[in-house]
Amino acid sequence: MKLKFGIYWGAACGGCDVAILDTHEKILEIADMADIFLWPLAMDFKYKKIRALEDNYLDASFFSGAIRNSENEEIARLLRRKSKVMVALGACAHIGGIPGLANMYTREDVLNRVYRESESTINEEGIIPREAWSEGEYELELPRFYNTVKTLDQIINVEYYIPGCPPVPLQIYSALTLVRDGMLPPKGSVIGAGDRALCEQCPRVKEEKKLTGIKRVHEVIPDPEKCLLEQGLICLGPVTRSGCGSRCIKSGVPCRGCYGPVDDVKDQGFAMLSALASSLDAKEQKDIDAIIDTIEDPLRTLHRFSLAASMLRRKKV
Amino acid sequence: MKRIEIDPITRLEGHGKITIFLNEQGEVDNVYLQIPELRGFEKFVEGLPVEEIPRVVPRICGV
Amino acid sequence: MTFEPTIVGFLCNWCSYTGADLAGTSRVKYAANVRSIRVMCSGRVEPTFVIKALYEGADGVLIAGCHPGDCHYQEGNYKALRRYRLLRRVLPEYGIEPERVRLEWVAASEGERFAKVVDDFTDQIRRLGPLDIKESIAQSLIDDVVNHEEEATKDIGDVNEA
Repeated sequence: MKLKFGIYWGAACGGCDVAILDTHEKILEIADMADIFLWPLAMDFKYKKIRALEDNYLDASFFSGAIRNSENEEIARLLRRKSKVMVALGACAHIGGIPGLANMYTREDVLNRVYRESESTINEEGIIPREAWSEGEYELELPRFYNTVKTLDQIINVEYYIPGCPPVPLQIYSALTLVRDGMLPPKGSVIGAGDRALCEQCPRVKEEKKLTGIKRVHEVIPDPEKCLLEQGLICLGPVTRSGCGSRCIKSGVPCRGCYGPVDDVKDQGFAMLSALASSLDAKEQKDIDAIIDTIEDPLRTLHRFSLAASMLRRKKV
Repeated sequence: MKRIEIDPITRLEGHGKITIFLNEQGEVDNVYLQIPELRGFEKFVEGLPVEEIPRVVPRICGV
Repeated sequence: MTFEPTIVGFLCNWCSYTGADLAGTSRVKYAANVRSIRVMCSGRVEPTFVIKALYEGADGVLIAGCHPGDCHYQEGNYKALRRYRLLRRVLPEYGIEPERVRLEWVAASEGERFAKVVDDFTDQIRRLGPLDIKESIAQSLIDDVVNHEEEATKDIGDVNEA
């Protein structure tokens, strides 16, 4: 019997949906495996149809994107009720992703910048989006823009996680075959990824980490054979889950951690802080501080994708 | 006044909703397109090292 | 009433914990705000421990280890120093005052010094006031609550039925 899937996006870019399509000819197998009941990127279904379904009608729903506003949360809850299995697809649903960086600011900071202060916006009356608006008989509503971006599992129960920004298409396909074949691992597992740190399968040669300064990516042409971290480039490989195919590090670009933390790491960013500090080659406070001063923008480097999932969740206000 | 909502509009990147108001004769009186989605890249790329911008802004749209 | 901070102290087994012990057996009076956790080495204290302590309700975190050169494991205290300096550098970016975390060297023979460090740090945290991260997270979420049960059952038309 054919399975029933829902595919949805919250605060997302659509890259996860496109990654599903990027399975190329495998998309035909996916079409054979399941009927799709919701997929805004590719197919035309309305929320009303989903609301009309019986509870647990869908075998699995794949939710990409973070929870940024009340509509994201509403549809996440709706799909949860209608689905037997809920899968967080991609970094945003898994660990907050890039949209989670907004947790450095408050709701008002973001709205003011976007609608009132941006150089390319003409908004003389200083209007920002309102949840309810009316003019005569016309009444409209908008979702509430949240103060804090959330991961999917901070809102609803999530059975599985497919990490990545975006997830590797074949990893999505293999995760889908787990659903099809009833071979799913215990609930709470990350599927469609490795279970070791990226470092462990990095082809670069690792020697001793003795950093005398942190470099920015445009400041060096990295040696193609050697560990990027040892060359002074902050690379989140030590704390990030493998399974991405090492696309960035093979191209000489250090990892920013989109596959999220490995199993025994609670907070990817602070774990990386530990690894980075341990690699510094200095013993005196002034020498240590001199190296630390060469680190640009540590928060958005350490928690590039995982700020919303970090222990602190956001900048304290 | 009759009201028709198309929610969500589909097969594009992003979120959208169309609300159509019809008058007593069933003719279109007014139409609104709403974009109920915002992530705020304008804010959280402020102060980001310039060489990291190409690793963040592709996430505006992945389609 | 003055605010009495809760401080978590990670004390190294070989020097600082013994130093704290000495302060006790020597009957030195000092602030009772530190909850001591014995670790084998200050180098064992990961930034995650500090963050977790702050998240769970500590107003300050004290890390104490052997003086430079005296580490039972040769270099653990240097590692602690590097992590501490980097952690101090990043904490303000998360809205937390770096003064809430302090690293001190306390030898096994320095009971008096341990007492002085604790008094001094307690004073400092008392002046900074409560941290209360969980409460601040809860506050930041208050406006994010919308009644979804009601919205989920709301019936709206769609173009196919119009």
